[in-house]
Amino acid sequence: MQFKDYYQVLGVPRDATAEAIKKAYRQAARKFHPDVSKEPDAAARMSEVNEAYAALSDPERRAAYDAIGQGRRQGEAFTPPPDWDAGFEFSGSGAEGMDAGEFSDFFAELFGRARPGARRHAGPGARFEMRGSDHHAKIVLDLEDAWRGATQQVTLRSPQVDAQGRVALQQRTLDVKIPPGVKPGQLIRLAGQGGAGQGGAPAGDLFLEVHFRPHARFRIDGAHLVCDLPVAPWEAALGAVVPVTLPDGSTLKVRVPAGAQSGRQLTVRGKGLPGATPGDLELVVRVVLPSAFDPRARKLYEQMAAELADFDARKVAAAEAARGEWTHADER
Amino acid sequence: MPTNDEALVALLDEAGLTLEDLCRAGAVAPEWVSERVEAGLLVARRGEAAGWQFDAVALKRVRCMVRLERDFDAVPELAALVADLQAEIERLRARLQRAGLG
Repeated sequence: MQFKDYYQVLGVPRDATAEAIKKAYRQAARKFHPDVSKEPDAAARMSEVNEAYAALSDPERRAAYDAIGQGRRQGEAFTPPPDWDAGFEFSGSGAEGMDAGEFSDFFAELFGRARPGARRHAGPGARFEMRGSDHHAKIVLDLEDAWRGATQQVTLRSPQVDAQGRVALQQRTLDVKIPPGVKPGQLIRLAGQGGAGQGGAPAGDLFLEVHFRPHARFRIDGAHLVCDLPVAPWEAALGAVVPVTLPDGSTLKVRVPAGAQSGRQLTVRGKGLPGATPGDLELVVRVVLPSAFDPRARKLYEQMAAELADFDARKVAAAEAARGEWTHADER
Repeated sequence: MPTNDEALVALLDEAGLTLEDLCRAGAVAPEWVSERVEAGLLVARRGEAAGWQFDAVALKRVRCMVRLERDFDAVPELAALVADLQAEIERLRARLQRAGLG
């Protein structure tokens, strides 16, 4: 494990006042916020900054950190001495709101504990009961898994208190059953999979926020799926029934109405992400031209050019745009 | 390797969190929530605090607001405004992605 110099991360001296630390954090947060920063590693830097602030903004944590950090430099090998935190009390405040995966091993090793202060106050014979804290993490799913429902492995690191009251960082892997039809932004709550409770109190819950990996064919909009529908010029012009493969591998036959232009949107109701209220499948027509390097195609293009000399693509496109047509496709 | 029991997995979409759930998951006090519901900064379903229900969006919003208030000394209204803007960014990003531009 490497030592982290939180003062260096925030760019403040070791004797910085609480106010100076807060100010430095705010400046860094503005600089590295992943939504606005142009820095290439903004998300990683923001996590570092959050962690440094969680350590230094809490007087108890800062005092303990200063005690072990004397003379140490950023990145040097580090192992906390046994009982390094004896004599310190932690109320556990200051890091709420961070995700379980957001802390480094270093932070979790030093401060990652449920409520050690409360534990220390409990004298012999005293009985403390405290429900474990709720934990938060993200889960990134493939569309196919969300469609069908699947079991996904989630690896989490969290501090665990053993029978002797000592805290150790543990990595655990959970097999999470993904309910079919889960959508981006939804939360999956796993009862009892958060922080351990104390004194026989129940464990907290684990909340997983659902994110999706980008898919090669489908784009996801809530419960709706959007994808391109490549068609030949004569399919678009004359109408056709074309197959569309769904994320589960099944095939849907969709009628393309005669006269469909590129960009025209065809909506198939209820064929988006499944669920109590299934989403729609939105197909965007994309006319794919045969290559003019094929002599047969070239001959046809030349024939069309000669016989449809009055066809003005710009005028037709402008008229299409003005109409703003919107068509619902029928499933066959 | 532990596998979660199916019965313990709950999908939070529509209102699925009680006031107590929300406070625990967001690490906030009930008064913190009720003040913001009454000020219109958080949306709860149903009238009385005892029967309030919150959805996944509300929890995400609480976590965003509590950090802004704590780390930036933001007044609740400002924290709520930032949470609104954050939600708007996410909505626009989703539209970009939908258009194949994200």
